[in-house]
Amino acid sequence: MTREFTIDPITRLEGHGKIQIFLNDAGEVDRAYLQVPELRGFEKFAEGRRAEDMPQITSRICGVCPTAHHMASTKALDDLYKVEAPASAKKIRELIYSTFFVEDHALHFFFLGGPDFIVGPTAPKAERNILGVLGKVGLEIGKEVIGLRKQLRELISLAGGKVIHPVFGLPGGVSRPLKAEDIEKFKAGAAHAVEFGKFCLKVFGDIVLANAAYVDMITSDAYTHRTYYMGMVDAGNKVNFYDGDIRVVDPEGREYVKFSGGDYLGHVAEHVEPWSYMKFCYLKNVGWKGFSEGGESGIYSVAPLARLNVSDGMATPVAQEAYEQFFSTLGGKPVHHTLANHWARVIELVYAAERMAELASDPEIASPDVRTIPTATPKEGVGVVEAPRGTLFHHYATNERGLITKANLIVATQGNAARTAMSVDKAARSMIKGGEIDEGMLNQVEMAFRAYDPCHGCATHTLPGQMPLIVEVRDAGGELVSELRRD
Amino acid sequence: MGKLMRTLVLGLGNELLSDDAAGILAVRALREEMAGRADVVESSMAGMALLDVFLGYDAAVIVDAVCTGSKPVGTISELMPENLGRVLAPSPHYAGLPEMLALVDKLELDFPKKLTIFAVEVADPYTLGGDLTEEVAQALGELRSRVRVQVERWAQEEADIA
Repeated sequence: MTREFTIDPITRLEGHGKIQIFLNDAGEVDRAYLQVPELRGFEKFAEGRRAEDMPQITSRICGVCPTAHHMASTKALDDLYKVEAPASAKKIRELIYSTFFVEDHALHFFFLGGPDFIVGPTAPKAERNILGVLGKVGLEIGKEVIGLRKQLRELISLAGGKVIHPVFGLPGGVSRPLKAEDIEKFKAGAAHAVEFGKFCLKVFGDIVLANAAYVDMITSDAYTHRTYYMGMVDAGNKVNFYDGDIRVVDPEGREYVKFSGGDYLGHVAEHVEPWSYMKFCYLKNVGWKGFSEGGESGIYSVAPLARLNVSDGMATPVAQEAYEQFFSTLGGKPVHHTLANHWARVIELVYAAERMAELASDPEIASPDVRTIPTATPKEGVGVVEAPRGTLFHHYATNERGLITKANLIVATQGNAARTAMSVDKAARSMIKGGEIDEGMLNQVEMAFRAYDPCHGCATHTLPGQMPLIVEVRDAGGELVSELRRD
Repeated sequence: MGKLMRTLVLGLGNELLSDDAAGILAVRALREEMAGRADVVESSMAGMALLDVFLGYDAAVIVDAVCTGSKPVGTISELMPENLGRVLAPSPHYAGLPEMLALVDKLELDFPKKLTIFAVEVADPYTLGGDLTEEVAQALGELRSRVRVQVERWAQEEADIA
């Protein structure tokens, strides 16, 4: 009953969203779908290429999180060549990665997610934007965010080559050691980042937590889904972005499974729907039970909230304190409220900043021994990291000469795809009655998916513009009843 | 007169994604001939993350691909930043130029006072590893001419003022 429709945005924007809502004969929502364009042809593109080129190639797939792809790919090469990087090289990788996390989370917190919860969800539409954020937190803070991000991005360039196309990761280590003066710059950047992180916690506390209406909204049913959660943890089950095992907890918060990245195919499966290019991840051993919640459904969630839910704590002091406040305020583990992702993101920002400071002060980070030369014949390798948006898997198989025969990526947005679809559906059901569509729905839908910080397409840059959002409502016969668009 | 005008030529796109490479490929060939007159930069970054790239320049030309579906493939349009939409960022990664300009204005950042966008209509910006569509490939020369003319015009304006 679906027909093809042309979207006509004013500029090309990767990841434009189209929401299709199908009504039943009574005019109530039968099903709502979020459509996104998807990257095509990666597997074919990768075939026959040299495995050691993959960290450069995959980091160019996405203009948003190149460092995450670079890191996952580098770790996949370690595994492919069965080579262990020296401890110093791992620390350099993690230092660069932590720096990337701070700048990425800072951007989201203030400028991208900020309009929803700093300005406030009930503020007039005209104020719910970056200018509204500045109005609330002050111009100096805006300059501070821009200044800090610039400083951190320069650090990444210093240690890792260009920010856009990082080049530091090699199988078995990194391309060069850190110089003494670079380490000093990292220490300064880390100190700055830690102070900034504490400030962000304060902003969140003063503006969001001090306002009962905000907290009520975060915990409201409209933004709640009881699903499984997935994220990486270290040996002590603390949140880790760079390395560790993958832990999954069930909707009650109990550990469901913990596995190493190389075993992901035994645990993660992808469901395909005829209406979307997106492959929806689910837990293989629970099974796909449709877009439904609860312990019987294999749908899981990734990203900041999920990482906090799967861990037993944060490995650094200020972040740990915030972690404890998070769960005590929101009623214990696990937290099922999608909008809590914003708070979790700030806690992670603090952890990343503190981790930067620890690593920059670690004597081993100055070691010149940064590479173990691989000697094994390559066959197959898996690399996993936590991208800011969730668990990211890279998996390559090669021939004995190291040329790719098969490649598979599971990107973070796929991990959240099913849950995001449920959020859209929930918003539609609450806002459409008897075929009438409420303008407020756009807002509710946007707030729901903005909290996940999705990166649709994972392929993308843009002519700077905004994401057009088109909502089509169709009756039981597939005829267009009404259309809302923002473009 | 004050310091020399600093001009940026920015190619946006993703080299790996078929037609999305258009902006990148168009400016790459200008790098040498523009030396001394403009900095030629290629970027795959999106939205707000691009802000760093612009800071410190007096004038900037952006070259990019667009896929509106409403014009023949290969058509070049000159877009004005103010026509790109309202100050609103409905999705995390697409806080775009309007937001950036509003922020720049509010924070009084050192952002180009002159900004022009040349956008070429493309057919397929989504397939990894594909070649440019023929019409897009043919438009690259014209894109470069437009950039040259624009940079020249700004330099002339600057000279006139001086």
